[in-house]
Amino acid sequence: MMMRRLLKYWTIAVLLSLVPVCLQAAELVSKQGFGKENEIRLSFAAAVGKDVAGYIANYTVFEESDPDIRLEIKEIVLSPDGRQVSLLFTEALNSANAHVVSIRDSDGKELTSLLVKKSYLGYILSILISALLVNNFVFTKYLGLCVFFGTSKRKTTAKGMGVVFTIVMVVSAVMSWFFYQFILIPYDLNFLQIVVFIGLVSLTVQAVDTILRKVNPILFNSFGVFLVLVIANCVIIAVPLMMANYNYNVIETFMLALGAGGGFLLALYLMSSVRERLDLANIPETFRGLPIAFIVAGQFAMAFLGFSGLQLF
Amino acid sequence: MANDKSSMQLISRGILSENPIFKLALSMCPAVGISTTVMNGFMLGVAVLFVQVFSSVTISLFKNKIHPRIRIPTYTLTIATWVTVIDLALAAYMPEAYAKMGIFVKLIVAFAIITMRLEMFACKESAPDSFWDGLGMGLGFLIGMMVIGLVRELLGSGAILGYDVLGFKPLLFFILPSAGFFVVGLMMAFFNWIELVYKQAKGMK
Amino acid sequence: MKDILTIIIRLTISCMLAATVMGAAFLVTNKAKKHNEHVNEQRVRYALLGYSQEKPIPESMTLHEIYRYIVSDENSQSIGYLLPGKDGLIFVTIDMAGKIVENKPVQIDEAKVREKEERDKVVREIVGGGKDVSFADQTIVVTENGKRKAYLLDGKFTGFKTFIGVMLALDPQFSLLGLEILEHEEDPGLGAEIEQNYFRNQFKGKSFENLKALDVVKEPMPDAYFQALEGNVAESDAAAILKQYVDHDIYALTGATISSRAVSNGVKGIAKKFAYRLNILDTVLTDEKIAVAF
Repeated sequence: MMMRRLLKYWTIAVLLSLVPVCLQAAELVSKQGFGKENEIRLSFAAAVGKDVAGYIANYTVFEESDPDIRLEIKEIVLSPDGRQVSLLFTEALNSANAHVVSIRDSDGKELTSLLVKKSYLGYILSILISALLVNNFVFTKYLGLCVFFGTSKRKTTAKGMGVVFTIVMVVSAVMSWFFYQFILIPYDLNFLQIVVFIGLVSLTVQAVDTILRKVNPILFNSFGVFLVLVIANCVIIAVPLMMANYNYNVIETFMLALGAGGGFLLALYLMSSVRERLDLANIPETFRGLPIAFIVAGQFAMAFLGFSGLQLF
Repeated sequence: MANDKSSMQLISRGILSENPIFKLALSMCPAVGISTTVMNGFMLGVAVLFVQVFSSVTISLFKNKIHPRIRIPTYTLTIATWVTVIDLALAAYMPEAYAKMGIFVKLIVAFAIITMRLEMFACKESAPDSFWDGLGMGLGFLIGMMVIGLVRELLGSGAILGYDVLGFKPLLFFILPSAGFFVVGLMMAFFNWIELVYKQAKGMK
Repeated sequence: MKDILTIIIRLTISCMLAATVMGAAFLVTNKAKKHNEHVNEQRVRYALLGYSQEKPIPESMTLHEIYRYIVSDENSQSIGYLLPGKDGLIFVTIDMAGKIVENKPVQIDEAKVREKEERDKVVREIVGGGKDVSFADQTIVVTENGKRKAYLLDGKFTGFKTFIGVMLALDPQFSLLGLEILEHEEDPGLGAEIEQNYFRNQFKGKSFENLKALDVVKEPMPDAYFQALEGNVAESDAAAILKQYVDHDIYALTGATISSRAVSNGVKGIAKKFAYRLNILDTVLTDEKIAVAF
C-alpha cells in the first residue's frame, strides 16, 4: 500500500520536474534541433518569407561558450511552405554544446534568438541509464561489494536490500544536494564533505527506521534488517561525492541516485539468481562460498563492459 | 599488561588469521577496484592503516565517555574525521598518487572493517592494545592489497612498481577492473586450499 | 531527560572536536596543495617547451599569462583580455565585430592575479556594474628576449568516457610544438594509451594547415615511425623519419578509434579558435597602438 503511494508520488514529482523542460517554446521558432552532423533544423510557427529565412547573412550562429567564433553556414535549404529551414555548415557541429542561433530581418533588426541543444530530457535520462548500466556501481565501479556479496545469496534478500537501498539512496542524495548547495559551497566548507554526507546517510537510515517501525511494522519486519547494512555500503557515499564533483543540479542528482539504486538492485538480483543455482551445483570445496561468487561477479563485470560507450541520447 | 608478546599476537592476528580481505571478506571494494598496481595498493593500504590506527586509539582513549546509545554515530564521526584528514594530506602532498586512487580514499569512511574493529575491540580495550590491534588490521589490509596488486601488475603489464620486469604484457586483461574479481576470488580459493592442506596435514599427524 | 541531555552535550562536543581537527588539517594542507599545484603546472609547461630538470629554462625566457573573459550585458557580449601591458596589467575589451571597446589599467598584485577569486573580483570591478563576467580560458605567451617563441593553451573536450584535458604548445605560426594529456578517464590499455609518446608525438611538428584538416586513419602504424616517436632511434635518423610522416593524418590507437578522434578533433578545435582570436587581438593591439609585454 505504502509502496504504491510512494510510487505514485515519485511519478508525479518526476513528471512535474519535467514540465519546465517542455515549456521551451520561442515565439517565432516552434521547434529546433540538430540534424545530420553539420546541420541545424528549425521549424517556424508561421510561414516565413524567403527574404528573411533564405539569406545566410541573416543568421548568426555560435556555440554558447564561444560567442566570438561565428560558425560558417555553407547552404540554406528552405522548405516550399516556408515553415522549415535547414542550415548546413561547412564544418561538423559539436552537438554536445549548446548553440545560439539568432535571426535578423533584411533591415538588420533582430527577430529572434534561440538556443539549440540536445534535449535536456535525453540528458537526464542518459545519466539514469549510465548509472544503471554503463557505469553500474557494482560491476563497473566496484563499489558496495561487501554488502553485495553478503546479501546476494537469496532472491528475497536481494530484492529487500535493493529496494531499501534505493529509497535511502534517493532521499539522502537529495538531502546531500541541499546541504552541499546551500551550506558547504557558500561557506567554503568543502573539506567537510565526507562528514556531512555520511552524517546525512545515518540520519536518513535512522529516520526511515523509525518511520517504518511506526507506520508499517509488517514491512519493517521484512526490510528493516537491511537498513543497518546500508551505511556500510560504499555506494551510499559515492553518489553524493560524485554529485559534488560534477556539480549536478537537483534533477540530475535524483536521476543519479535512482540509477545507482536501480543498478544495485539489478546487480543483486542477477547475482542472487546465479548463486541460488550455484548452491545446487557441484563446486570444489576450496571454491565454495565466496571464491566462486567472486568469479561469477567477474564474469558479470566483463559482460557489463559491453555497455561501455553506450549513448542512447 | 601490554607486553611485546601480546602486541605481536595482536598484529599477527590482523595479518593472518583475521586478515580483513581474505578471511573476513570485508572492505573488498578497493581490493577489486584499484589494486591494478602495487603502488596503488600500497598507498591505499597506508591510508587505511592510518585511519584504522588513529580511530582505534581515539575511541579507546575516550571509551568511557561515549554514551552507549550514540556509539555508532560517534564511531562514524571519528572515522569520518580521520578520513578527511588523510584525504586532505594525500591530496596536498602526493597529488599524482592521490589522482590515481580517485574516490577510494574518501570511501574509507564506509568500510565496515574499521567500524567493526572499533565496536569489537577499541571500545573495550586500552589504548596501547588498540594501537597494536589497529596496526595489525591495517597491515593485514596493506599486505593483502599489495599482494593482489603484485599479481595484477605482473600479469597485466609485466612490471612491478613501474619497473618493467617481464618485458612484455602477458594478459592485458588483468589490469582491466573486472579482473579484480577473478584475482581476489582465485586468491581466496588459494588461501582456502592452503588451509585445507594444512588441516589435513595436522589431522594426519 | 538527563540521558538525552548528556547525549546531546557529548555529541556536540565530539562534533566540535572533530571540526577543529579537520579545520586544522585543512588549513595546513591547503597551502601545500596550492604550492604543489603551481609546481606541477610549471613542470608541465616547461616540459611542453622541451625543458626539464636536466635542461632548465633559460633566463631570457619569460612566461606571460593572458586571461580571457566573456563580458555580457543585456544587449551584447564582448571578449575581455587581462594581459600584461608594458607597465602593469591592462584589461582590453573587444566587441564581436573585432573592434576595441575599452582599455583600462588594472591594479592587482602579481601573485594575486593567479588566484581565480581575486582575479574575477578585480575584473568585475573594472567592467562595472550591470555586466556579467565569466572566465573563459588562459593562454601563456612565451617570449625569449622579448620575441614571441610559443603559445601554451589548455583545453577540455569530450572523450570516449568523460572529458579529456590537454595542454598544447604552438609556435608563432601556429604549428604544433607539443601536446600533453593532463587528465582523462579513458580505459586503461585502450583509450588511456593517448598518454603514450607514440600517440602524442604524432601531433608534433604539424603545421597549422595540417592541423586544420587533421583526420584519423585506422591503419596500423609503420614500425619505423613507431620507433622514432618513442625515441628508440638515434636523433638524426629520427628527424628524417618524422619529417616523412609530418603531413600524414594521425594513426589511430588500436581499439581506441573514438578516443583518438576525440583528441585529434579537440586539438584541431583548440588551435583553430586560438589562431582566430589571437589574430583579432593582435590587430586591435596594433591599431590602437597598445604596448604589451609580449
